[in-house]
Amino acid sequence: MSAADKKNVPPTDTERRRVLRLLGKGSVVAAFAAQIGAAARAFFPNVLYEPPTKFKLKRPEEYPPGFTFDAAHRLFVVREEDAFHVISAVCTHLGCTVQWRENEFDCPCHGSRFRPNGSVISGPAPRPLSWFDTRLSPDGFLEVDSAVDVAPGFRFVPPKGQA
Amino acid sequence: MERPDQSYEGRDFGWLVAMSFIFLALVAFALWREFHPGWAPVQARFRAAMEKYGGTDRARAFTPGIKQIWVPKIHMVDRCITCHLGYEWGSILPATLPEPLTPHPNLPYMDKHPFQNFGCTTCHGGQGWATTASAAHGGKDWNDPMLSAGIARRYDLREADLIQMRCNFCHRHDVTTPGMDQINLAKKLYKENKCRLCHAVEGHGGTKAPELTYFGDKDPELVDFTHVTGAHTLFNWTYEHLMAPDKISPKTTMPTFGFKPEEARALTLMLLSWRREVYPPEYIPPPIEEAPPAAAPPH
Amino acid sequence: MGEQLAKLWRKISWSWSPGSERESSEAIVRNLWLHWFPAKITRAAMSWNYSLWLGTAAASLFFILTVTGVMLMFFYVPSTERAYGSIKDLQYAVSFGRVLRNQHRWAAEGMVAVVFLHMARVFFTGAYRGTRAANWLVGVGLLLATLLLSFTGYLLPWDQLAFWAVTVGTNIAREAPVVGGTMRFLLLGGTQIDQQTLLRFYVLHVFFLPAVLWVMFAYHMWRVRKDGGLGAVEAIKADRRMAPKPMPATKSYSLFGLTPGTSVQVMSSTELEAEDQVVSSPNLTRRIVLVFLIVFNATLLASIFFNAPLEEAANPAVTPNPAKAPWYFVWLQELVASTTVHIGPLTISGGFLGGILLPGVLLVLLAVWPWLDRSPLSAEGRWFPSSRKTQNRVFVVAMIAIVLLIVVGVFLRGPNWRIYWPGMPRPQAPTVL
Repeated sequence: MSAADKKNVPPTDTERRRVLRLLGKGSVVAAFAAQIGAAARAFFPNVLYEPPTKFKLKRPEEYPPGFTFDAAHRLFVVREEDAFHVISAVCTHLGCTVQWRENEFDCPCHGSRFRPNGSVISGPAPRPLSWFDTRLSPDGFLEVDSAVDVAPGFRFVPPKGQA
Repeated sequence: MERPDQSYEGRDFGWLVAMSFIFLALVAFALWREFHPGWAPVQARFRAAMEKYGGTDRARAFTPGIKQIWVPKIHMVDRCITCHLGYEWGSILPATLPEPLTPHPNLPYMDKHPFQNFGCTTCHGGQGWATTASAAHGGKDWNDPMLSAGIARRYDLREADLIQMRCNFCHRHDVTTPGMDQINLAKKLYKENKCRLCHAVEGHGGTKAPELTYFGDKDPELVDFTHVTGAHTLFNWTYEHLMAPDKISPKTTMPTFGFKPEEARALTLMLLSWRREVYPPEYIPPPIEEAPPAAAPPH
Repeated sequence: MGEQLAKLWRKISWSWSPGSERESSEAIVRNLWLHWFPAKITRAAMSWNYSLWLGTAAASLFFILTVTGVMLMFFYVPSTERAYGSIKDLQYAVSFGRVLRNQHRWAAEGMVAVVFLHMARVFFTGAYRGTRAANWLVGVGLLLATLLLSFTGYLLPWDQLAFWAVTVGTNIAREAPVVGGTMRFLLLGGTQIDQQTLLRFYVLHVFFLPAVLWVMFAYHMWRVRKDGGLGAVEAIKADRRMAPKPMPATKSYSLFGLTPGTSVQVMSSTELEAEDQVVSSPNLTRRIVLVFLIVFNATLLASIFFNAPLEEAANPAVTPNPAKAPWYFVWLQELVASTTVHIGPLTISGGFLGGILLPGVLLVLLAVWPWLDRSPLSAEGRWFPSSRKTQNRVFVVAMIAIVLLIVVGVFLRGPNWRIYWPGMPRPQAPTVL
């Protein structure tokens, strides 16, 4: 190495400088990583613009006997005498809305068929249709919580004078 | 081996290290701020209050985070309940709990005005989007301030009187509405003094005086405050104009009705409530018929 | 295993930290990203004092704007009904949304300022002569694209500020002769600012203008290299010419054969001496990282502590008093407000004189100035050379005038566009309650 070249080599590349360089690069990498993390966090919404899973239907007395389809909430309200239960209309295969045909539910998308109690007759559906928890709201409407499943066979009988 | 010229490393090195550290520090500070929002300590207090009054299970069921009531029908997003968490827990939390955790009083009309249909700002005003107290309670850059006791005091009113103004967005066509004494008084005066002889409202009435259907939407910039003695607000202009029309608008033909101050205030509240608010039909109450007059006592 | 990983790492990263001058030059060719840069850069161009690194700062800001802008696109809804709410969501409910939007806003306003200052630097150093004239023209295009990007972005929050600033801005555009009305009609997608306008501005803002700007930016960079680097290079060359190194008495080639002495043509390839230059990697690359970090830190600092403005939701029925254009157009608004003239029965709108004619003349003058400039070429690449005294003075006066008009418009104008000096009580805008 010539004398002229030696001039260009920083004579101060000491241990301290090496550590500082490492810390500096580390800071930038950490800061960028944190920002990528922050960006990823932003994609998880803090608030949802979705209807609540708990909602009110009509008053019990407004339902005729048999299966009544509620398109807005994608469910069937079933009335037998004074007893009510609510079955989901969402096919357990891939989420299409099933249709009530005389004495069974048929799925238009992939041909799954369900019995009136929701259990599978045939087709690709892996599970029976859900039954939703049903009760009466304080102001006298049927109230359903679609986040809470109940066992098939569940019946809700509104107190006398309500149905 | 010949090494590249390193002379610039010496010059830039210190700055580069300093900027790298500042970069990390700023990012870290931004992150820290994000995870320490102003509402977090409030939610911690709420959890503690729930634990105290409602038991551990209820406290555990509470998940921290931004809370909102979303009512798509009336294009409303209210995040007030991010801090005002006690609002629906009147059955458990004591009414004496200090704000912002105080439960909402169980007023007689609350059954018909559930939170999930009306949110908070429908009645109280304020900025529902906001998650900071100052922005939510009105402040700058929001034209519908929260109707606070402070604002009410400026006009010698109670907070509840001011809120009646917002109730009347929907109850405009009621003859009388239980609990809305200010507006009921105004409606009575409006009828008795035959305002519609001169003013057209909703397509009916005289043409001598300005149309008043959407008086509440009037741009306060467009009224003349020259003779108004109070602060320059549409409320004061309207109030003083009702008290002495010729003083506020010297060229007016409106007679001086000799309203008492409380009557002028009530009329002002009603006039300011006449806004272009679009509520779906199911929000508009069926007309309440005026109670039949009690049978006249026999002579 | 560890050794192999280290080897792989070395293979990927060697070009960023070359071990020798030769490796550095090779790295420039081998690495796609370093490819942008010349193998060597003059010390004059590396100087802080010459370029102030404003071009790099502008590019850094544009990079920040692209990244934050793409992020914002995931949250923004270009609909008159939902735009304002989506901005409120960013402000209050999206994690880091506030800082994200703030950084986009402050970087955008910073970019307008920095691009303008960059242009001023190039003017004052006369670095637009000869072959650099073409790049000056591209630069004027970049300035325009920057302004248009800022302007189109202004409408998107759909608040009162946005709505009325764009109302004022597009009405200035309407005053352009012949095409003005059509231009405004096309820009707004109608005669009023509504859903169509929002959608048009949105697409212009997030796709069209950025694409144009990226292409022009790439060409701008390429031209810098084709022109032999920054204007500062010319100053060194001129110095070398003034004080030629003792050359061995030799023959030189000229048009008419061999002549004694040397000629400029022959000098030109050897004018830059080895000691004038350093390798670009890592000297230039390191400096660019440094400038980027400074710019990023500045915008992030501003974003943490200052919120981007957001007023009430747009209301076409109520004009705020006063309604101001964005600050970089406020000087035009000032001109527009005070240049309506009456000559006998003839009235010429200030919108035309101050909004179109004057800025139009300024813009055309800027664009063609390299071809009108008669100052000696030797003035190129130095700050404020005496041979450019007059034109630099004119430029400074124009700059000061614009800045003054902006200051007056932003800080002194109050309700009804009246002047309110500091300390003078401003009338409080009346409110409902």
